[in-house]
Amino acid sequence: MNWRVIKLETRNAHSNMAIDNALLEGLKAGTSVPTIRFYKWLPSAVSIGHFQSMNDEVDIERCKELGVSYVRRITGGGAVYHDNKGEITYSVIAPESAFPKGIIESYRVICGWVIDGLGNLGIKAEFAPINDIVVSGRKISGNAQTRRDGVLLQHGTILYDTDIRTMFSVLKVSSEKISDKMIKSVEERVTRVKDYTSASQDQLYEGLLKGFTDGKEYRLGSYTEQELSRANELEKAVYSQDSWNFDR
Amino acid sequence: MKVPGGKMVTVKLDCDSTITKIEITGDFFMYPEETLKEIEKALIGVSTNESEQNISWIIFETSKRNRATMIGVTPEAIASLIKKAISG
Repeated sequence: MNWRVIKLETRNAHSNMAIDNALLEGLKAGTSVPTIRFYKWLPSAVSIGHFQSMNDEVDIERCKELGVSYVRRITGGGAVYHDNKGEITYSVIAPESAFPKGIIESYRVICGWVIDGLGNLGIKAEFAPINDIVVSGRKISGNAQTRRDGVLLQHGTILYDTDIRTMFSVLKVSSEKISDKMIKSVEERVTRVKDYTSASQDQLYEGLLKGFTDGKEYRLGSYTEQELSRANELEKAVYSQDSWNFDR
Repeated sequence: MKVPGGKMVTVKLDCDSTITKIEITGDFFMYPEETLKEIEKALIGVSTNESEQNISWIIFETSKRNRATMIGVTPEAIASLIKKAISG
């Protein structure tokens, strides 16, 4: 299979999710090609899983105070804080037939690319089913997958230097839990690339790019006008709408 | 509730002698994602006296009809939460 790789780019939350959706639709229609993309979120944002309640998971008022955006994903899974300065997100959109039928096995394949990427920085990570990647038992990457009409979409986040305090001020945790004790306990469960290496975020991206592309036929490319036009429609009609984001 | 070996699931419902409103939320995976709304629709009107097993069956059948895949959640886990919510 010949992959198109979209170099690390920065978009707002609604646009990022609309692009993934447009590529999924495009691949199904035969107008897009299998794609790996890397991206960041500006402004920083919270994404919630398809089946989560925005009001249950996210402190919307706090988000507004901090200028943090919010969006509901097409995929399931949990709430994620996408720190503009502290993480890299990836998406893989490809025919379902290119991956194992088993859910865990397909997660293992794509998470393996992340693990290889971290390995390029000297970080020994491992897959923790269902959908996590851990280093010494602490989560460094969360991943979410959906499949529809023969197309697989998986996206995931790799924590580089995420601001844990801000993360827990926008995710809905009662104020008394945002104590040093709570943050300490979260830090015991979550880890970041920066905790293991002095590598820059650019070096993390280069490591991930190599991990995702090693042994594959690929070309660095860009979106088509058709993809961008559809993503623009989806951004306006779906991902920026309260009717989508506050559906539950 | 955390499904053993799985994900978080929450059920909110209104009922009189039957379920009148239901919302299932959580960090689980299910695709096609639209299936969850079909499951919620299928549960409206179900008697509050219905057995956990039969509620589980309704969820399973709706999921099967939609050719859905569930990860981190099961019909049994949702049914168990529904019964707990009904009994308050």
